[in-house]
Amino acid sequence: MKYLLIFLLFFGTLVADDAEAIVKRMDDLMRGKTSYSKLTMTVVTKRTERKMGMEGWSEGSEKSFIKILYPKKDYGITFLKIDDAMWQYVPKIEKTIKIPPSMMLQSWMGSDFTNDDMVKESSIVEDYDKTILSQDKESWTIEMIPRPDAAVVWGKIVMKVSKAYEMPLEVDYYDEDDILERELFYKDFRKLKDRYYPFLWSMFPKNEEKMGNETRIEVEAMEFDIPVDGAMFTKRALKKYSR
Amino acid sequence: MLFSIAWRNVVRARRRTIVTILLSSITTLFFIFYVGLKEGAYAKFKQDAVEFYPGYIQVTGPGYRDSADYDNLIRDLGPLTEALEKDERIALFAPRFEGFVLYASDTNAIGGMLTAIDPEKEPRLSRIHRSIRKGEYLTAKDTNGIVIGDRLAERLEVSLGATVSIIGSATDYSFAADNLVIKGIFHTGSNELDSAAALINKAYFDTVFASTGMATHVIVLPKEIGDSLPIAQSLQNELGPAYEVVDWHTYLSGLIESLEYDAISDGITMSLFLVVILFVIMIYALLTIYSRTKEIGIMRAIGTTPLQVFTILMLETAIIAGISIILGGIGGGWLIYHFETHPIVLAGMEEAYGQFGIIDAVIPSRFSFEIIFESMGIMLLLNLLTALYPVYRVNRFKPIDAIRHL
Repeated sequence: MKYLLIFLLFFGTLVADDAEAIVKRMDDLMRGKTSYSKLTMTVVTKRTERKMGMEGWSEGSEKSFIKILYPKKDYGITFLKIDDAMWQYVPKIEKTIKIPPSMMLQSWMGSDFTNDDMVKESSIVEDYDKTILSQDKESWTIEMIPRPDAAVVWGKIVMKVSKAYEMPLEVDYYDEDDILERELFYKDFRKLKDRYYPFLWSMFPKNEEKMGNETRIEVEAMEFDIPVDGAMFTKRALKKYSR
Repeated sequence: MLFSIAWRNVVRARRRTIVTILLSSITTLFFIFYVGLKEGAYAKFKQDAVEFYPGYIQVTGPGYRDSADYDNLIRDLGPLTEALEKDERIALFAPRFEGFVLYASDTNAIGGMLTAIDPEKEPRLSRIHRSIRKGEYLTAKDTNGIVIGDRLAERLEVSLGATVSIIGSATDYSFAADNLVIKGIFHTGSNELDSAAALINKAYFDTVFASTGMATHVIVLPKEIGDSLPIAQSLQNELGPAYEVVDWHTYLSGLIESLEYDAISDGITMSLFLVVILFVIMIYALLTIYSRTKEIGIMRAIGTTPLQVFTILMLETAIIAGISIILGGIGGGWLIYHFETHPIVLAGMEEAYGQFGIIDAVIPSRFSFEIIFESMGIMLLLNLLTALYPVYRVNRFKPIDAIRHL
């Protein structure tokens, strides 16, 4: 009996550690040490469908820089993220603006992603306790519950991670009342130098107001672990790289 | 016969009659004043809350009220304008565009609302122009000038003449960004507006937000403001499902609820008030009628029946009460008329009432014949009720005991 208990305890921690390790590994692969990407974001609403082009650079999970390439009207708008803070430069008014905390849950560029998504993307590793709910031949299903002291917006995240690619396949976001708020799907996995990477991301909001909308991100170019100029991640760069 | 005896009793006992009339008429007067003031205050609360910003009737695109996003805008004001212009019941209407923007100064960035208005018509539709504390209100010639809430200006650390940047989303979902100049600063007392809102000329706003001919809602002022609900309903029928028409009862339901809640506690206060009146009059009636025990005993002894005594006493009460309520009604009527035209000013209460959008803390009473007659009726009933018990008691004495009664 005693041994059984010890075994169960040991087994329990092992499972939790497994989930932790899977997510950590996935997150590292998704992000790389540094990265460069070129994307098209398509936002579909009841009335319209619009496309935006952008390119981005990142260093670890702390720093990233995004520049809007089209539509033409929005060319040169730049975003800088350092840790939990986010700045935006708008060439038309020649102004750098720090996004205030109260705006973090607002939509980013009119999409179904929020400003918070852009900033907090790293936190699934640190802010959540993870357990493996189930697994089959292809994937693990991992439940993530926010740690008591974590400042996050979700009540629960359920993630399906591909065993073959060590990449996410599907992420379901639940609010504090355990109601499904949105679903994110990763598709079109392609082989890069040292890893597979999803070239199509689709976000479907599930709340009543936005039901039927979709935000699609198509990756046009993706490079990992390339040299990135550290000066990119300063406020001065916002204006400099806007041109 | 009985009436003439009653009348004679009233006229003969002049002092008793005068004191009773004074007592009853003054309570009637206060009662009418109280009711008139209460109704006047409620009416003013509602009117202020409606007129300071939201307006009597709002027309929006379908679904906008539940989900305020660009998918639910009024995309073409043309047909709506045509329909509203033809309507005889409408005094005035104007489109508004409420945009959610990020205000940014050199030191700070704050999310808030930028409302595009028609500077010529808006002053008749809402009262923000009356709350300008510094600078000026908008005119039709204005371009990038804004009037801004005082607390928002404080939080942004900007003052009159300074530049504030805004970024938001245009109706084509491109970035809308501009530098705006503060032309005026308002203080409405409403925290929602003062700390997070600014107004701008819609003609200019439309060039930045690609919203020409569009609106988030149209404010409609009916000729008869009391008819806003039926007018909104019939407008909805005429305009069909392409629009949503509601009047202030819908978007100020919170205020209405709180007023209803207030009315309940007010009802309790009023019942206590009535009970006090009832007791005062009852004690007085008890004293005056008991003091006449001997007189009643003699009447009984010479053959008057208890029913006749009862009728005489009640008639006396009715005569006195009738005179009292007429006097009280005239006095109370004058009071509520006077305070309707010369409202009571509550100096220093602006802040407390500000949260309801009440800009001037004055309370007018409401004059109506309904209030006067209803209050008079209640007071007459109270007077008669209070006489019942003493009359009954005094009638139960045996004539011989009553005559000996001191």
